Amino acid sequence: MSEYKKPLPEIQPYSQAFWDGTKQHKLLVQHCNSCDANIFYPRRDCPKCWSQDLGWIEASGKATVYTYSVTLEGVEEMFVEDLPIILAWIDLPEGIRMHANLVECNPEDVHIGMEVEVVFKDVTDEVTLPFFRPVK
Amino acid sequence: MSKRGLAIVGIGEVPTLRNPERTRWDILLDVCIEAVRDAGIDKNQIGAVISNNPMAQPSMQNDMSLGKIPEVMGLEGCRDIAICNAGGASTTNCLRLAEQHIESGQADFVLVPHTTVQSDIPPQALINFFATAPLDKQFEYPYGVTFNGSMGLITQRYMYETGATEEQLAAVTVALRAWGALDPLSIFYGKPITLDDVMNSRMISTPLKAKECNLLADGGGAMVVTSHEIAKEMGDKAVYKRGHGTRFMSATPFMREDVFHRKAYRESSQDALAQAGLSIHDMDLRQIYGAYPYTQCSALEGYGVCEEGQGASLWADGRCGPGGDLPCTTMGDATGRGHSGSGVSMAFYLDTVRQLRGQAGERQVENCEHAILTTSGGSVMNTCTTVFGRAPQ
Repeated sequence: MSEYKKPLPEIQPYSQAFWDGTKQHKLLVQHCNSCDANIFYPRRDCPKCWSQDLGWIEASGKATVYTYSVTLEGVEEMFVEDLPIILAWIDLPEGIRMHANLVECNPEDVHIGMEVEVVFKDVTDEVTLPFFRPVK
Repeated sequence: MSKRGLAIVGIGEVPTLRNPERTRWDILLDVCIEAVRDAGIDKNQIGAVISNNPMAQPSMQNDMSLGKIPEVMGLEGCRDIAICNAGGASTTNCLRLAEQHIESGQADFVLVPHTTVQSDIPPQALINFFATAPLDKQFEYPYGVTFNGSMGLITQRYMYETGATEEQLAAVTVALRAWGALDPLSIFYGKPITLDDVMNSRMISTPLKAKECNLLADGGGAMVVTSHEIAKEMGDKAVYKRGHGTRFMSATPFMREDVFHRKAYRESSQDALAQAGLSIHDMDLRQIYGAYPYTQCSALEGYGVCEEGQGASLWADGRCGPGGDLPCTTMGDATGRGHSGSGVSMAFYLDTVRQLRGQAGERQVENCEHAILTTSGGSVMNTCTTVFGRAPQ
C-alpha cells in the first residue's frame, strides 16, 4: 500500500467527508440544506445560495456514462502501467456529473449512455478512490 | 484629443520553433523592437508595457511582473507595467488593460509582448503542467487525466451528438495544417498533411490522434496599441477593434453545462458584432483559438455561420481552409502553427492584423475588411470574442 506512486487527491477541509465516505465504500454527495441543491465537487459554501448549512446524502452508486475517452499514451510515467485508461464523465441520478475512470470493462465495449455502478479502490491506507464499472 | 477605442498599429513576431538555443529574452527583445519599429514610433513614446504571462516559466514571469522590460529596453516614457494571466486568453486581457491605460490618458502607446520557450522544459514536466494547471487536482488529476484526455472526452460527446465522423474532424486538422504550410511563421511551414496522415497517426486519447494534438513549441510576438484617434493619423498600418464580448463557463471541463461552448461563442460574438454594428455574415475571416478540432466546428455553430452540428461538414467540404469560401483560422491554431503556450492567442491577434492589412502572403483572404476572433483560456473556461476592422467605426 505504501508503494502507491500516483498523485493522491488534494483533499480540502470541506471535502474530507467525501473521502471519509469513499473509505467506507460509500459515495456521498454534498447537499445544501437551505436550497436543496446537490453539489459536486464539495465546497465550503453552496455555489447556488452561499449557505454554509451543508450536509451529505448517500448516492445510489448507479450512474450512466455521459462521455468517455480511452487514453493510450501521453501520460506521466506513474500512470503508464495503467494504460489504456478509460476516462469518463459520469452522470449520477442525484443530478451531478463527476469524473471517474471506468474499470472491469473492455475499452471497445464502452459507449455513451452505458449503465455503470460505483466500485471502490483502496489505493493507500488513507485514501480510497471511486471508479465505475458496467452493470452486469 | 479623444482617447477612446483601441487600434493595433505595430506588430512583431518570431517563427514558432523548437529551439532551446533561442532564449526567452532574445525572442522578447526581437519582437518588441520589431513592433515598435513597425508602428513607426520612438521607443520613449511607449507609455506602458502590459505583458502576457509566460506560463510554466517562473523566472521570465518574475522578470515581466516586476518591471524588467522597460528597464532593459530603456523605455524612458513608460509610466507603468503589468502582467496578465488567463492562460490562452492572456493576450485578450492585456488588450483590455491596455485600453484602460489609453482611455485614462496615462499612455498614448502601449507595448503588449509575449515570449515562451517550452523546448527546454522536460516533456514529463509539461504533461504535468497541462494536467494540473487547467484541470482539477482533487477529482481529475488522480485518475491520470491529461489535457489531451480531457479534450478527447468532449470530442467524443461532440461526435455522438452531431454525428460528425472521425474523418470529418480529421479534415479540420488537414485544413489547419494547410494554412500552416503556407505560413513562414508556422513550425509546419512547407509541411502539409493528408487525411490519411491524420487518420493513421497514433491514437493518443480516443478519438484524438497524434496529429490532432498540440506540438508544444517556442515563440513570441508583440503589439503596439493606441487609441482610434491617434491610429487614424498613422495610415494603413492601423487595425481597429470594433467590438468585444466575453462569456465565462467553468474552470473544470466536467462542470460545464455548455459542453461545446456554443452558447458562449454565440453570446460573446453577438455582443461584439452589435457594438461593431455588423453581422456575422459581414465577417471576411473567422479566427478561432480552441486548440482542438471540435472547437473549430462548435464555434462556427455558435457564431451562427451554420446550424448546430454542421460545423465539421463545413471543414470536411473544404470551405474553411485555403481556397474555401468561408476562410477560418488562417493562423492555423495550435495544431497548424505549434503551441507557444499562452502566446497562441498573441499569434492569433498578429495574424488577424496581417490579414486586415493585406500582408498575409499566400494565406491572404481576399478583400479582408472585417474579422472576428475568439480566444479562450485554461480548458476553454471562457470565450473572448473581438471584431476587428480595417477602418474605425
